Amino acid sequence: MAITPTTAAGSTKPTIVPVTTTTDDIEEEFPHIRENQYVLIHMPSGNVKMINLKPKSQVSLGKFGTFSSDNLIDKPFGLSYEIYDQKGNIRPVRNWALATVEETNANNQNILDNADVQKLTHEEVEKLKQEGLKGNMKHDEIINKIIESHSEFDKKTEFSKAKYIQRKRKKFMKVFTPVRPTLYSLAQFFFTKNPDKIKSMRVDTLSQIISLANVHANSKMLVVDDTQGLVVSAVAERMGGYGKIVGIHDGDHQNYDVMRYMNFSKRILESVHTIPLSKIDPNEPEEEFVPRSEEEVAAMSEGELRGYERRQKVAAAKAETRKLFFDGGFDGLIISSQYTPETVIKALVPYLSGSRRIVVYSHSKEVLLEAAHYMRKSTEYLAVDITESNLRQYQVLPGRTHPEMTTSAGGGYILSAIKIIDCPFDMSQVYSESNARRKKRRSEKQQKKKDEKALEDKEQTTEEKEKTLEEKPVEEVQKETDDKMDTKEDDVPTTA
Amino acid sequence: MISTTQRGFVYLLHPTPELWTLCLPHRTQILYIADISFISTYLDMKPGSTVIESGTGSGSFSHSIARTIAPTGKLYTFEYHAERTAAAAKEFEEHGLSDIITIQQRDVCKDGFGMENVANAVFLDLPAPWEAIASAKASFLKHRTGKICTFSPCIEQVARSVEALNENGFVDITMYECLVRSHDVTPIKKIDFADAIKAARQRQQHGKKRPLEDGEENEKVSEAELTETISTMLVSKTPQETRGHTSYLTFATFLPAIENNLEPSAADNLMETVAVDKDVPTNEEKETSN
Repeated sequence: MAITPTTAAGSTKPTIVPVTTTTDDIEEEFPHIRENQYVLIHMPSGNVKMINLKPKSQVSLGKFGTFSSDNLIDKPFGLSYEIYDQKGNIRPVRNWALATVEETNANNQNILDNADVQKLTHEEVEKLKQEGLKGNMKHDEIINKIIESHSEFDKKTEFSKAKYIQRKRKKFMKVFTPVRPTLYSLAQFFFTKNPDKIKSMRVDTLSQIISLANVHANSKMLVVDDTQGLVVSAVAERMGGYGKIVGIHDGDHQNYDVMRYMNFSKRILESVHTIPLSKIDPNEPEEEFVPRSEEEVAAMSEGELRGYERRQKVAAAKAETRKLFFDGGFDGLIISSQYTPETVIKALVPYLSGSRRIVVYSHSKEVLLEAAHYMRKSTEYLAVDITESNLRQYQVLPGRTHPEMTTSAGGGYILSAIKIIDCPFDMSQVYSESNARRKKRRSEKQQKKKDEKALEDKEQTTEEKEKTLEEKPVEEVQKETDDKMDTKEDDVPTTA
Repeated sequence: MISTTQRGFVYLLHPTPELWTLCLPHRTQILYIADISFISTYLDMKPGSTVIESGTGSGSFSHSIARTIAPTGKLYTFEYHAERTAAAAKEFEEHGLSDIITIQQRDVCKDGFGMENVANAVFLDLPAPWEAIASAKASFLKHRTGKICTFSPCIEQVARSVEALNENGFVDITMYECLVRSHDVTPIKKIDFADAIKAARQRQQHGKKRPLEDGEENEKVSEAELTETISTMLVSKTPQETRGHTSYLTFATFLPAIENNLEPSAADNLMETVAVDKDVPTNEEKETSN
């Protein structure tokens, strides 16, 4: 059923994705943060928080301070804000770009490296922190004090000084940047914070899945998603509300939790249809919604009527989704699932159009081996390939450019293949000069015989019937082949 | 579709940008799926995005961008080589993408993009992308964040690009490399070592006997034993060679125009404060005072 902002009556609640906007952010001239939307808060420490901006509430950033949500609502994304008082007020400040440090001759040859170098005691530093939190001291004053009390500070190399200051800044700066949740920022957020939720699917792997499956507007995608909706969200963003997505899920209701953080517009949310595993068996009879008679409807109380209409709507949505699924003709099949891949593929590939891709994700390669082997041997799949993506991030600073010291060890594996419609080897499908002449002669003979027979009774012997069936003229065979090709060679989708 | 000699066959496939990338005529070095897909995601491309690209090259990335931003988005692509511009324009026309892609022959490093306040994302695949960054900055939509990516094979180019990005007020400057590796799946035999020893011993003993039916029968028996114990397992193998490097992808964020009028936060003044402190007592003086 389409994701609607209503709760279905029943035991388990579906993931409610509230509709906060009807317009797509990309179309707005002055996009801004809306109330009840999700925002990613980036802090100088490198930490990122996900918050929901309910109006008239306080947002706590832990030791970095608290601010009133109303001060951030209707502001643009991307600017940095400083919490400058205790009352939750914020003001926009210039973004904390990394300061460039020039090389000097300072080196750490004579530096002392023990706890005695910092003359302030632990208690004194704590006291400074408290003063900062109370608003009595600005954080740069605090940091200055700490630096002054560090007897070896001047001996550090310029780089080391910069690093030291950066570390202290990150600890004391009460500045943050609100970042728009997008496929990229969300995928990074979850991969860092909660990789298990998204089955450790790294953003580069996810990007390749979307590209391979040719996800685009006005297509029809079939998705089995166990990443709590990260894949469905990616597909939905890339389709922009144009086209349809059918997501097959375990349980009674979808658990596409990630979707709600995307702040999708109503249009995009409506393009996502979900169907539970229990309902995709074609042999299962469809649940009939029994409409009540007019008299019964008239006799209902207001509460009963609302309930009836709601059930009617839900049943209609379910029926629509079921039809979408069983109609097939999907332009792509994306699978990330706990179930053995080749079994999922075999069950769902009949609903996929020819010359369309199947893309399977797994964090472990071994899971994909059986499916890859099965597809390689089968004549129904082309370009079967298991790939692994490697992503390496570099720090780029003058004189200090190098890959990051720690990085992700793996981002998952992709198995992809193209579904093809194979014509079993049939001699009559082969065009050749000699064949053509032979067939022409045969067909002429046939025609002669036919004409003769037409003058008599039109009864053919079984033998001759078989002959005519076998030896179809080449033009007919060519047309048959063309017809077969046409079913998989649809017109280019309306991308223009 | 089977060939006339019946020895070969082809499959007719529906065109996609991914397939086009693999078989398009190369007029320049092109981008492949690893970079294409990662850049598309990082630059937040989706239906409705407006993207600027230079140089167009062979149009590999252009096709993918058009597919991703359709039907409401726009791609403005620039190529300074006349023939390549014409070839790409012809391809876009033939593939029905002219509504989405506008190609212009232009040397953006010399003459800039000539566009203002239009783009959500800019992609630069040029030998000297730093020369186009100032003009790229002007092309961004002013009231929202935007993303830029420069694509350079050499680390020296990256360093200069980063400098230019910094000078022009871009933030969150970072760089990535993305490479894809294939794994081939194949079954291998699992042969028990103990059985292999037994079979080897038996084969050795046959060599001593006269070559009669007896010996042949015995051999058959041991072969049968061997086949009983052979099971197979699927393994993955990496190919001999793989792509080691395409280019470094340098990314940065464009901030909304209001940014220019803002006061720096108090913390930003810190660097100046520290620099001033360098004039404060030198190490020797400090040591003697301690």
